[in-house]
Amino acid sequence: MISATNLTKQFNVRGTPLIAVNNLSFKVSNGEVYGLLGPNGAGKTTTLRMVMGLLEPDSGHVEICGMRSDGQTTEMRKHIGLISTNDGVYPWLTVREMLLYFADLYAVDLQVARERLEELARLLDIGRFLDQRCSTLSTGQKQRVTLARGLMHDPPVMLLDEPTRGLDVVGSQTVFRFIDLLKERGKSVLLSTHRLDEAERVCDRFGLLHRGNLQFEGTLEELQKLTGKQHLVDIFIGLIGGPVDGEPVDPARMVITTNE
Amino acid sequence: MKEYLNNGRLWRLCLKELRESLRDRRTIITLVLMPILVYPLLSMALQRLIVGGISKAEPEYAFLLGTQDEETAQRVQNLLFEARRVNQIGISSPIKITRSDEPSNKSTVRSEDNNNAIAVSADHVGFSIVIVEKVSLASALRDAQIDLAISKLDVESMAFERDTFPSYQVQVEFRQGDLRSESAMSELRRAVQLMNDNQFEIVRQRINARLPAVVQMKANGVGQRLDPAASIAGVIPLVLILMTITGAVYPAIDLTAGERERGTMEALIATPAPRFALLLSKYVAVVVVAILTALANLFATWITLSFGGLGQAIFGKQGFSLWILIQILPLLAIFAAFFSAILLALCSFARSFKEAQAYLIPVMLLSLGPGLVTLMPNVQFTTLLGIVPLVNILLLSRDIMTGHSELVPAFAAVFSTIIYAGATLVVASRLFGAEAATSGSQETWAELLGRPKKTRLLPTLGELAIFLAILFPVFFITSNVGVMLELRGEAAMSFNAVLLVILFMCLPSAYAWYRRLDFPTTFRFKSSSNSLDSTGMQVARSIGFVVSVLLLSSGLWMVAFETYLLFENWSLASHLSEEERTKLKDTFLLIPFWLVLLTGAVVPAVAEEFFFRGFALSAFRSKLAPFRSVLCTSILFGLFHVISGNILSIEKFLPTIILGLALGLVAIKTNSLWPGILLHALHNGLVFGMSRIGETELTKWFGADTKHLPMLWLVGGGLSIMAGITLLLIASRQTRTYENIA
Repeated sequence: MISATNLTKQFNVRGTPLIAVNNLSFKVSNGEVYGLLGPNGAGKTTTLRMVMGLLEPDSGHVEICGMRSDGQTTEMRKHIGLISTNDGVYPWLTVREMLLYFADLYAVDLQVARERLEELARLLDIGRFLDQRCSTLSTGQKQRVTLARGLMHDPPVMLLDEPTRGLDVVGSQTVFRFIDLLKERGKSVLLSTHRLDEAERVCDRFGLLHRGNLQFEGTLEELQKLTGKQHLVDIFIGLIGGPVDGEPVDPARMVITTNE
Repeated sequence: MKEYLNNGRLWRLCLKELRESLRDRRTIITLVLMPILVYPLLSMALQRLIVGGISKAEPEYAFLLGTQDEETAQRVQNLLFEARRVNQIGISSPIKITRSDEPSNKSTVRSEDNNNAIAVSADHVGFSIVIVEKVSLASALRDAQIDLAISKLDVESMAFERDTFPSYQVQVEFRQGDLRSESAMSELRRAVQLMNDNQFEIVRQRINARLPAVVQMKANGVGQRLDPAASIAGVIPLVLILMTITGAVYPAIDLTAGERERGTMEALIATPAPRFALLLSKYVAVVVVAILTALANLFATWITLSFGGLGQAIFGKQGFSLWILIQILPLLAIFAAFFSAILLALCSFARSFKEAQAYLIPVMLLSLGPGLVTLMPNVQFTTLLGIVPLVNILLLSRDIMTGHSELVPAFAAVFSTIIYAGATLVVASRLFGAEAATSGSQETWAELLGRPKKTRLLPTLGELAIFLAILFPVFFITSNVGVMLELRGEAAMSFNAVLLVILFMCLPSAYAWYRRLDFPTTFRFKSSSNSLDSTGMQVARSIGFVVSVLLLSSGLWMVAFETYLLFENWSLASHLSEEERTKLKDTFLLIPFWLVLLTGAVVPAVAEEFFFRGFALSAFRSKLAPFRSVLCTSILFGLFHVISGNILSIEKFLPTIILGLALGLVAIKTNSLWPGILLHALHNGLVFGMSRIGETELTKWFGADTKHLPMLWLVGGGLSIMAGITLLLIASRQTRTYENIA
């Protein structure tokens, strides 16, 4: 399970301080999918980086399965899986070599890693091209390899950083099935996205992030009850009250696939 | 970190990086294709340069002497005949014509050079005489159609006693700076000198040999003959090194900035794998590719030099031997290790391929600068140059190739290059992935080189590496300054003491202050007792430590004395004459003993303990187990004692390491600097004290063998060391138990 307490992070952008995340607290229990939602620049990635222990918060701390970010970062990372939009593959390695490489990076025993590889190959249907070089794979195949990569060390916590950005319908479906799989296995999933329609579909609970502040937290029903609006998109625009960062909100940008 | 070093995991990580680079076609291109393409081209260019240059110096065909008319040609011919005759009868002249008995060949005339403006008349003494028609003598000389021009030749008869002798006034022109023309000129001078010597001999005999020669001179050449090829031999290491760099560049970019471009960087740094392990595996891959490139290039060079005839031209008869190859290869490997670390550090900083390339180009150009310095024929490989990165390896390989390498600069070059590589690698591991983690903030460099915000208890191994990279050159330069000032006696000892304080106390203090390290823990200023002890216990423990230190010191100086004797033949002092040694000893005896103790025992004890058992040991302890830390510190301690000024005192290495081990043990067990300082001071004091005692008194104590210590002494010394260690372990036992409980 994930627990973030009073996370605050400030950056210096050309001399002027910018609060990326402000006093953020949330909890994700086992088998739960928590959606961290917000437009670009809301502080989602910064939050995920702090959860991973890649970025030290100015104040506050993260706790993953009983390990705290201030002091046990290395241990903590062993229990976290990460899959993000920009994830690539090693073109010159075979799928098997790449997955076993990541198992080694997570200090997984070689025998255990080999067994897990076979299991994941079945689950994600990558068995056919395990010994093919990654450069020969199609986009969809690469995506499945990336998903398998995130599970090579069987982490109890999974962070998904905009996992569907740039994917077609089929690709998105694979991701949704993957999230279902994670839930089934009792993993805590923290999902960051600006695709509210998708979030609505897969998340159990939401945290709406705007300019580093958590505007609202709860289930879809709670949100609907509170705002009287049906869709997450409407709810969100209502909550943040118009323009983001001085720019007019472009609903199309946030609702690309609402009617699909 | 441990779980990444076991079960062959690190090996598998390295294997992944190697696979990645070696499967990449672009790596293979730089690795294999470049040498195949570059060397034949280079060989052709060099062939023109070198073989041309060398054949000009020692021509295969005769020098061409140009005259304007038949009459002059005839006179010159007669003169040359005379010179040849004189040379053959062998008069007592220091001059010998080098090529007089070589048959010259009329058909070698380059009549095709010019539309038959030149016709050959005759040739003698390695010269061919040419009558220049149509064009002027000056222009024929300028255009290198002839090597010398006889512009004027007058003859008059001079009467001497009963005979008349012809006397020639000749004016010769030659091309300045042209090797061939200048050689021809000196050859002609020799011929003329020979004839004049002969004349003198005739006159001398006429007056019954009553007139001696003004000077009877016999010339012997010593040292290195300044061969035009020697400077060209410098090109080869430069080319090899540049090619090695080329081999390392692509994998270095690909394995670091490439990770970002492929989008694998974030996943990589999100893993719990230590950055150093990640970078180490990448480093191994880059070094391997660089060494493979070096091998490929070396092999291509060897083939080109051996079969293209260039090797003999440059290296003489034995050519580019396999032995040179074997010596150059490890040097290239060390260089590859150094440069790969630099490349990785630079590329780790870059966010993309393009950015990495932009960083690398200036570095490559910068490294060409020192490369060109080594091409100058008169650059000596001094000890000081031994610590200049890049230049040192280039000069060393040049010296190996020409067979004049020396031990001290070679050692300095290899040792400093390894230190620089280590420090750079640490820097690289901090930079690697840093940008991805901090997301555009500018904290990376500041974090590495700037002042940290928080105070820390102990220095890290990385900080030690960076500090050593600062300390070593400063140490090297300053200790050479002492040699340059030619200080003797009191001045030398005081100078060294001041240096020790600056190098091992001021510099580490400044660095520790800058990095906000906690002084008491970093330098072990704590009292030797445990705070949980009662006052009585504290006193007892302190007494125990002091007694054990006294016991250790009373035995250790003997160990130092005897191990020094083992390697005495290696020391510089063993090459001095008896007289010089007595003189040195007299100078030493003139120094007041209090000054010897202060500058030779107290100051070194405080300063060296401060750095080695303080800073360095703390840094090693941050990563390594106690015994390994002590061992590493001792080796470092030993290495710093080996270099004293521009002399390599190998004989000091083992005694210093043994002393270092004992000092390290004391520091770890007492967890304090003070007992070690006491031990170090007593040890040095005893060694210096012994050296003050005159030989006659020594005989009284030692018996006949004044060189070695008496057996009984040694047994006593051994026993007191054992007793000292035992007491040390007993006195420190309680402290450790408390620590374990805590």
